[in-house]
Amino acid sequence: MKEKIKVFVNDKPLEIFQGMQVKHALISYDIDIYKKCIDGEYIVVNEDGFEIGLEGALSDNTKIYIKRRREKSCLERQK
Amino acid sequence: MRYSKKFILFLLVLFLFFSLSFSQTSNLIDIKILHINDFHGRLLPYIVKSINEKIPVGGGAYLAYIINEERAKNPEGTILLSAGDMFQGTPISNIFKGEPVIEMMNYLKFDAMTIGNHEFDWGQDLLQQWIKSSSFPFLAGNILKDGKYLPNVKPYIIIERKGLKIAIIGLTTTETAYIVKPDYVKDLTFVEPEKVLPNLIKEVKSQGANLVIVLSHLGYDADKALAEKVPGIDVIVGGHSHTVVTDTVIVRGTIIVQAGYNGIYLGVLDLKIQPETGLILGFTKEKELKTVFAGPEDKYDPEVAKIIDKYNTQLKEEFSKIVGETLVDLVRNYNEESNIGNVICDAMIEASNAQIAFQNSGGIRTDIPKGKITMEQVYTLLPFDNVLVIMDLTGKDILDLLEQSATLEKGILQTSGIRVKYDMTRPIGSRVIEVFVGNEPLDLNKVYRVVTNDFLAAGGDKFTAFTRGKNIVYGDMLRDVFVEYLKKHSPINPKVEGRSIIIK
Repeated sequence: MKEKIKVFVNDKPLEIFQGMQVKHALISYDIDIYKKCIDGEYIVVNEDGFEIGLEGALSDNTKIYIKRRREKSCLERQK
Repeated sequence: MRYSKKFILFLLVLFLFFSLSFSQTSNLIDIKILHINDFHGRLLPYIVKSINEKIPVGGGAYLAYIINEERAKNPEGTILLSAGDMFQGTPISNIFKGEPVIEMMNYLKFDAMTIGNHEFDWGQDLLQQWIKSSSFPFLAGNILKDGKYLPNVKPYIIIERKGLKIAIIGLTTTETAYIVKPDYVKDLTFVEPEKVLPNLIKEVKSQGANLVIVLSHLGYDADKALAEKVPGIDVIVGGHSHTVVTDTVIVRGTIIVQAGYNGIYLGVLDLKIQPETGLILGFTKEKELKTVFAGPEDKYDPEVAKIIDKYNTQLKEEFSKIVGETLVDLVRNYNEESNIGNVICDAMIEASNAQIAFQNSGGIRTDIPKGKITMEQVYTLLPFDNVLVIMDLTGKDILDLLEQSATLEKGILQTSGIRVKYDMTRPIGSRVIEVFVGNEPLDLNKVYRVVTNDFLAAGGDKFTAFTRGKNIVYGDMLRDVFVEYLKKHSPINPKVEGRSIIIK
């Protein structure tokens, strides 16, 4: 087994231990960004643009991107 | 003769066209797949700021209401599935070892769940207990024990809805072998999904399955790769990566869905299936997820609310239970050695058999006064769901960690198994003047077994030398380790004893 996997945060390659999650990649990338994700100011999306949770699993060569939270999401409560 | 052949062919095409059109419009079977994944014991609603800063989301009772509402639209044609990781993650579920989640799932009549990696977090005995108390099957087609499927676990089930035979095949991430405490999975083999799936598909089709659903705890990327590699999958209901797949994804004709995490969303996949061929002729393409809002005006299922209330009341009792006792005040010190840091690190050593333990001062969140210690105090002390990470580090890596500690940028490292003398009058990078591991001076070339938490292991608080670790294994949750230590050693009497000596 590979002890470490390579993931890309905003296209920056990072090596993290296998089994680590999105939050660990963010901690490694930039702790302040991680805190902003916890605060809901930013969200994390995958290559296809789908949001992923901070405790989501990562696999080798996964690409994730940090985005400012949209004002309106299709998943928000419909008025 | 040539004309008559063409004419017959024309009539045949016309016949096929009309019969197909007729069956498409009048005989299609409506199947509704409701799905969740990575619920992680989130029985109580909570605020997710990225969704709404004021209205809570999730919660078993609110989720249950939406499930029943959706099921009522197609009671004979609904399937309710979980793609794994249901139990571990919140006090109400952790304290009762997943029991309330099982109760909720039984009440909601889940049809199946796949085994996720976190289903092994408390060992295989507990998994077997859940299986026994569940009214639904646990699936895993790629986990073997002594060459057979796990006891009481099926690789797949075939259920019938509206005369249609539907196969549901469970698959679990092979990473489970490495990301769960080794003792819990050492006797198991996790086979690559693409190696077992073709045969399983053949098997279910030979038993008449018209529709093949893979209930996967593999992660979104792996689901897409699986759909590329293995033909014959109609739908993949996924989990593990916590991906909020708002619109269904199609890979080589396979529909892929995943409902985020923590029960914040319910996946609702409506299929229109041609009974003669089993072909999916229509499906939900957009807005496949429904957000589970839990505001004052949102409806909830009273029966599930009762189940949760019952456990929530018991939780308060459990929180007030005494788990240990201290003869001295346990006091934090962000920039110096603390007796509470020492006892936490001692617990880490005992649980891991490592030589050295490191805990970040920022992860210790309260003081505890002399006297009895309750479970609630432990949760306040260690509120983060950190797990132990055990790794090999060289003496040079350890020195780098201690020099970072000496910057005091993010507080000093609390330790066990090591004694350090810092001279803060010296420049950053040369403040560590003496280090002993046990009774021996730190050898920069020697490899030491070190235990820390997953935050530091990821390089948190700028302790990046942890990321150079080798031979890593994950351990139990730090909070559980600390509780076990208290139960075993109380009354405790930890002291500041010169593990970190600071010259100012």
